[in-house]
Amino acid sequence: MKSDLIDRYVYAVTKNLPSKIRNDISSELYTLIEDMIESRCGDMPPSETDIKVVLTELGTPSELAGKYSPDEEKYLIGPQYYWKYKFLLSIILATTAFGLTIASIVTAIIDPEVNWYFAIPSWFAMMIMGLLNAFAFVTLLFVIFQRKGIDVKINSDSLDNLPPVPKKKALISKHESIMGIFFSIIFATLFLIVPEIFVVHFLDDTRIIPIFNTDIIKSVWYIIIAFAVLGIIRECYKLYEGRYTKRLAVVTVVVDILSALLSFAFLLDNNIINRDFSSAIIKLFQDEAEFIMNIFSRFNLFFLSVILFALALDMGVTVFKALKYDN
Amino acid sequence: MVKDEVLSGLILELRRGTIVLCVLSQLNEPTYGYNLVNILAEKGINIEANTLYPLLRRLESQGLLESSWVTSEAKPRKYYVKTQKGNEICNALKQHWDSMVRNIDRLWEVDINEK
Repeated sequence: MKSDLIDRYVYAVTKNLPSKIRNDISSELYTLIEDMIESRCGDMPPSETDIKVVLTELGTPSELAGKYSPDEEKYLIGPQYYWKYKFLLSIILATTAFGLTIASIVTAIIDPEVNWYFAIPSWFAMMIMGLLNAFAFVTLLFVIFQRKGIDVKINSDSLDNLPPVPKKKALISKHESIMGIFFSIIFATLFLIVPEIFVVHFLDDTRIIPIFNTDIIKSVWYIIIAFAVLGIIRECYKLYEGRYTKRLAVVTVVVDILSALLSFAFLLDNNIINRDFSSAIIKLFQDEAEFIMNIFSRFNLFFLSVILFALALDMGVTVFKALKYDN
Repeated sequence: MVKDEVLSGLILELRRGTIVLCVLSQLNEPTYGYNLVNILAEKGINIEANTLYPLLRRLESQGLLESSWVTSEAKPRKYYVKTQKGNEICNALKQHWDSMVRNIDRLWEVDINEK
């Protein structure tokens, strides 16, 4: 029995199957189709319609090919890998986005002739390219794992390693940490790119006086970046732990002490504050209490003590909660 | 109807695991695929050829069946027969099936008594 339609059908089913079994399946299908046609038509010669009915009963070529393919080849990334893939992908995409942003900021600051109208679109283009590359890389990696059946172990979820259910008060709100990261980035970006936006506008004066000495701030850009990165590390670790633990307390204390040292390096220098600002303030408050005068004449130290207080508070709260809830 | 779709989906799931048992039970003698479709259909078990053929292949790769091409007839046919291992697995599956049927029947009895 020769039929062009049957030839084309069998070819369509088998063309994408592994070559080892292709011929075997091909001959088995020819015999099956002939058997089915015979049982339908008996000794009568089959019409084109009969052939079509039989082939329709077998299903579309892609359906049938799907049934013949081994299970592990039905997925690009199968169910046993999927959540690991998603987990790793989210981490890598976030890290890539963060790294590229920092890299773009640093490049822009180092470049003396930076053009912000150009820098922002180029950051955006770099982000898209970088994220696409990271996505492709992780996906390709998992496709290989899937094909080769390589077992991937991400933080073992064996019964022995299950973390205890945290008490409600021991949980760290995700929103707070995300806001923390967000503000670290915003703050560092503003300081690095446009420190002149921190200004004071005196009502009795037409002048707008910047608080900071912008040249000095721009010259110590690395301290600001380091400060922001430390803050982001701390908040990321909080996100990762999800609750107050002793480990988190240790990381927080280390990061906060480093941040405090950086603040000293940054703010001990009197010149960081714009002289015009100091003198204008002193003039404004000269009739008032000496206390306020003292604060503003040494604004950098005031600023430093606010930061140190915030860091000490953060350390204290974290250590206290860790000791209380992580037994 | 949505209800019918749910039901047919569940019936399909219920059948899926039992098909292997049906197929293994009939392969004491070398048999070719389309013949097996007819044998099972006569006994009230309807399995389509496009499900059975890939299944036979899978069972062979698992070592439960072995196959041989017979080319002496008019058409070349692939005959499948149970291996020793296939036989053992078939018997074990049948025992599981029997106890499953008994247990499910018992569930049903309790259910009626409670009403």
